[in-house]
Amino acid sequence: MAEIATEKDAGFLKEIVRQAGPEVRTCIQCGTCSASCPTARLMDKKPRQIIKMILEGRKDEVLSAKSPWLCTSCQACVVRCPRGINPRAVMSAVKEICEREGRVPKDLSYDEIFQRQVRESGRASEAQISGEYALANPKSTVQAMELGLEMVPRRKISLEKEKVKRPEEIKKIFEELGKA
Amino acid sequence: MMDRIAEQVAKEQGQTQGMRLAYYPGCVSKSTGKEMDLSTRAVCSALDIALEELDDWNCCGATHVANDLISVGLAARNMAQTDLPIMTPCAICYSNLRSAARRMEEPMVRARVNAALTKKYSGARVRHALDVIIEALSKDPDRIAIPLNGLKVAPYYGCLMTRPRGGIDSPEYPTILEKLIRTLKAEPIDFRFKTFCCGGPIFATGQRAAEDVAYQILSEAKKAGAEAIVTMCPLCHLMLDAKQKSIELRRGETIGVPVLYVTQLVGIALGLGPDELGLNINSVSPMPVVDKVYQSFA
Repeated sequence: MAEIATEKDAGFLKEIVRQAGPEVRTCIQCGTCSASCPTARLMDKKPRQIIKMILEGRKDEVLSAKSPWLCTSCQACVVRCPRGINPRAVMSAVKEICEREGRVPKDLSYDEIFQRQVRESGRASEAQISGEYALANPKSTVQAMELGLEMVPRRKISLEKEKVKRPEEIKKIFEELGKA
Repeated sequence: MMDRIAEQVAKEQGQTQGMRLAYYPGCVSKSTGKEMDLSTRAVCSALDIALEELDDWNCCGATHVANDLISVGLAARNMAQTDLPIMTPCAICYSNLRSAARRMEEPMVRARVNAALTKKYSGARVRHALDVIIEALSKDPDRIAIPLNGLKVAPYYGCLMTRPRGGIDSPEYPTILEKLIRTLKAEPIDFRFKTFCCGGPIFATGQRAAEDVAYQILSEAKKAGAEAIVTMCPLCHLMLDAKQKSIELRRGETIGVPVLYVTQLVGIALGLGPDELGLNINSVSPMPVVDKVYQSFA
């Protein structure tokens, strides 16, 4: 069973609990989440380990892990956790703290670019997101071009940026609900 | 409440007038998921389901908004735009709207989110196009003009169609899609990867990993004898269809299995044409499958 967080890092556990729910504290380390996860084999720390580290208040190690950025949000863990924990929400909470503290690795910034675009225009335009991500990550250019070759002749890429009529309403959602 | 009464009345009258629904197309309808949008509109029109596009709809956040409350807020803004039941053809939008509707039952969440919304949320009914189509076809099976004559189809649900729990079917072993495939007189194959993640949400950041996952799904479907894969999620579709050629190149292996949106498959059985269903903009052409169905019909 996990140790209780030291006072110094208790704030971290509290923040995760605030965002992902109090069930996190009840984890029995059964590993159902790790076993159900389609990308666990690629993670440096498996979902079960991430939760253990959070309960132990090991903030720095958790924020350095690549695991949250490999979560596909498939929710297999969510429907299976015997304690009703939402490990997907735990991973999201870790990502949000990384974003707030400026600790998102550049090659993992796809989510950030996506979110910025939704915040600004209310809609996601895939071409712009992929383009911006490719600019920041030259390694992904080949993939972006391959997809472009599939999509452009089929007119499935719109170069026009989609926008809602009332973007101020979207801005307000991000501002008001993004507050701690 | 009014909705429920109206629905009850419609049910008792045999609902000959067809359904009226608010339509949430989702962002991909303007780009990589054009055939999803086209075929949804065409099938609904053929089945007398009237769709009213949701006013000024916004992105549901997909799987990329880390803050849970913002995610609920984005979905709630959409749901607050109408009093009609909301239908979407996208499994991701469906999952997000459904999750948000559930979170909005928590008084604290509802108060906080509503404070950030211009139009306030007061409840919603969220439906996926699959469920709407099944309902319409069950009332009027004669609409099936071109029975699919034993076409072998892999039912691929992906993740979010059935997750979180409490939606259209069981998250562990859903069967609703198989039922629809049988209704169309096609044959669902036994597909053990049917609820496996396609890898889509990490296709940019973990390209190889995502492609490995998609390859497993494609090759398993092919091995099981599928002539087509049917999906309800634009991201699954992108991974399995648009990326199929790249995957083939990197694996040095031909797969060549067309991937249809469920609305495209239904449309074929309703006798709708390739243009109406966007069949000519799929990456792996489904036209050989369509030809086969038509030949066996003639």
